Amino acid sequence: MPPLQIKDYSWQQTESAVYLSLPLRGVRPGNADIFCTENYLKVNYPPFLFEAFLYAPIDDINSKAKIGNDAIVFTLFKKEIGMWEALSLASVDKEMMQRIREKSVLQAQAKAKELTEAKAVTKREDERYALKIMMEIEENERKKIEDLKENERQKATKELEAWKEQQKNAAVEEEKIEKELKMCQQKKQIEKEIKKSQDKKTTNHIKSMKSKNFTKGKNAKIIFSEKLKDDYVPAPRSTGNIKIQFTPRVFPTALRESQVAEEEEWLHKQAEARRIMNEDIPELHDLKEEEKNPEWLKDKGNKLFGTENYLAAINAYNLAIRLNNKIPSLYLNRAACHLKLKNLHKTIEDSSKALELLIPHVADNANARMKAHVRRGTAFCQLELYVEGLQDYEAALKIDPSNKVVRKDAEKIRNIIQGTELE
Amino acid sequence: MTAFEKPQIIAHIQKSLNYTVFDCKWVPCSAKFVTLGNYARGTGVIQLYEIQHGDVTLLREIEKAKPFKCGTFGAASLQQRYLATGDFDGNLNVWNLEAPLTPVYSVKGHKEIINAIDGVGGLGIGEGAPEIVTGSRDGTVKVWDSRQKDIPVANMEPVQGESKRDCWTVAFGNAYNQEERVVCAGYDNGDVKLFDLKNMSLRWETNIKNGVCSVEFDRKDISMNKLVATSLEGKFHVFDMRTQHPTKGFASVSEKAHKSTVWQVRHLPQNREIFMTAGGAGALHLWKYEYPVQRSKKDSEGVEMGVAGSVSLLQNVTLSTQPISSLDWSPDKRGLCVCSAFDQTVRVLIVTKLNKV
Repeated sequence: MPPLQIKDYSWQQTESAVYLSLPLRGVRPGNADIFCTENYLKVNYPPFLFEAFLYAPIDDINSKAKIGNDAIVFTLFKKEIGMWEALSLASVDKEMMQRIREKSVLQAQAKAKELTEAKAVTKREDERYALKIMMEIEENERKKIEDLKENERQKATKELEAWKEQQKNAAVEEEKIEKELKMCQQKKQIEKEIKKSQDKKTTNHIKSMKSKNFTKGKNAKIIFSEKLKDDYVPAPRSTGNIKIQFTPRVFPTALRESQVAEEEEWLHKQAEARRIMNEDIPELHDLKEEEKNPEWLKDKGNKLFGTENYLAAINAYNLAIRLNNKIPSLYLNRAACHLKLKNLHKTIEDSSKALELLIPHVADNANARMKAHVRRGTAFCQLELYVEGLQDYEAALKIDPSNKVVRKDAEKIRNIIQGTELE
Repeated sequence: MTAFEKPQIIAHIQKSLNYTVFDCKWVPCSAKFVTLGNYARGTGVIQLYEIQHGDVTLLREIEKAKPFKCGTFGAASLQQRYLATGDFDGNLNVWNLEAPLTPVYSVKGHKEIINAIDGVGGLGIGEGAPEIVTGSRDGTVKVWDSRQKDIPVANMEPVQGESKRDCWTVAFGNAYNQEERVVCAGYDNGDVKLFDLKNMSLRWETNIKNGVCSVEFDRKDISMNKLVATSLEGKFHVFDMRTQHPTKGFASVSEKAHKSTVWQVRHLPQNREIFMTAGGAGALHLWKYEYPVQRSKKDSEGVEMGVAGSVSLLQNVTLSTQPISSLDWSPDKRGLCVCSAFDQTVRVLIVTKLNKV
């Protein structure tokens, strides 16, 4: 149904404003839709429609509309002051109307866009401002703490300087006191000597005897008190030795709780591998788990060597070598046992085997190689094969030229050889 | 305690060095400290610094053939202030810093690097003869007297045939009269052993399940009161040393901090309940120990045993990304300490409000 145009409106005007009153005709105020631009005013409250092509432009931003009491009252502020001849333009044809309507719509849209932009800009401004204030506050906090710290530093530095000054003064004072003390002591020395010479002159005088005793007593007291001042430092302690044992640990690295699980696993796997390897040797079945471990057997052998149980040590080393015949230290230690038991040929055999296994001549096995040479040399000498013995001793010295014992022994052997040659 | 009443750890001076520094120690009765380390060319260096007007100035530099690992003034007299050092080759040397050309005392004490050194009986602290103890990678701990050449006055070594473990740290304690003295040693397999030098015997041993990096008594010159042992894996244990149970040993409380190796522990000379630990992540933690209501109680068989107290964290600060390997409190000024880290810097720190803790 086409809208009904309202024609029974009333309007008044002053120099600066226009007052327009539209009857609502029973339509609810909420349904009234007002569209107003500079030159065009439209009110649409179905089924009614009111349009006005304004005589002159108005300030549509500040103009007001009041809806109520079954009427809409507009207060339109004129852009230019002056009395209007009529509310709306007189001669408007349809085309012009359309154009004006379109222009108004565009104007309204532009205004709306401007408004939203303005709002966005103000919002951004506000946010930036808030941020700036926050940063300033935090900056202040930080500065406060920094200042506190700086103060403490300054205070500490000043105290330190003051204390240093004090120390210097104290040192100077001490020096002065020491000098005075020395002078006092010198004076006392001189007095003592004078008194001594005096006393010698008047030995028969009883009074002077008494005075001599008296002064002697005083001097003795002074000497006694001086002795107390000297700090008594006790003699060096009598040498002592404490043997200790460590909580056993297979790995050469430090103990860490977090690694314990991994280490246990590794050891377990090693034991498994060994067990699989040794399953074919029947005699080993009745041995305990640890006794099949060459490392453990070597340790056992070492301990037995330490308690001079050489045969048992050799047994331990034998078993270890059966399990793993590539460990040079086993042969080395067994050679030492044989040497103690005077099994000289076996000593030479074992030392030679050890040296073979220590073939990459590096700094790590220098110690072991030296020991092997020394043992083999000793065995040769005890078999009276002094030349071969000397060769081994020379080799040992080449590895470790600073070893005095080996050097002395080499000298002895040289002398023996020269001695026998002379004969 | 609010944030502003807690002690603050303030980095006062920072000095960047051109060598790896292993140890730093205050020179007693002065505002000077020494740093020990090694140059990249493999020689050892001792530098003497003085704090002047808020900065450090290098006073003297001494370069020697072998790198230095550790040093102490503990066995020196206050007038002479000789520095005892242990180096990478196992040599113990005592230097007069005014005349460093030849050492006052020198001995090749160990076959391998000397990891830790401590001195007692000097500086007017404690009684008895001045002695130096060294702990080395060859598993032995030896006590030296500078009047006896070449032979140590006590040697704590493994039994014949025993495989050795590295000794990582040593400390003197219980030196309250002329005769009594005790050495505590920590090893890399977690062993902590307490040796009584008066009876030449092993008094107590335990294993704290992680390699022991540093041990220290709260005071060397009193009857043993507390012992702190720090270890790998960020743990440290505080033992109450007043009551020894025949089987259970000493009571202890342990704490986990730092999330990495705790390299050092040092007690404040002016207050023996406060100590600082230095960690592998470059952090320093300041702790306070509180005693329990009763320090000893009777166990089920009526034998006395100790009761450990509790430890609370006062403050912590992260100074570096590399481990702080060494830390020393100044005995003359409360709260002043020097620390060195593996980032080749030495820092002088001020810890405030320690008098109100």
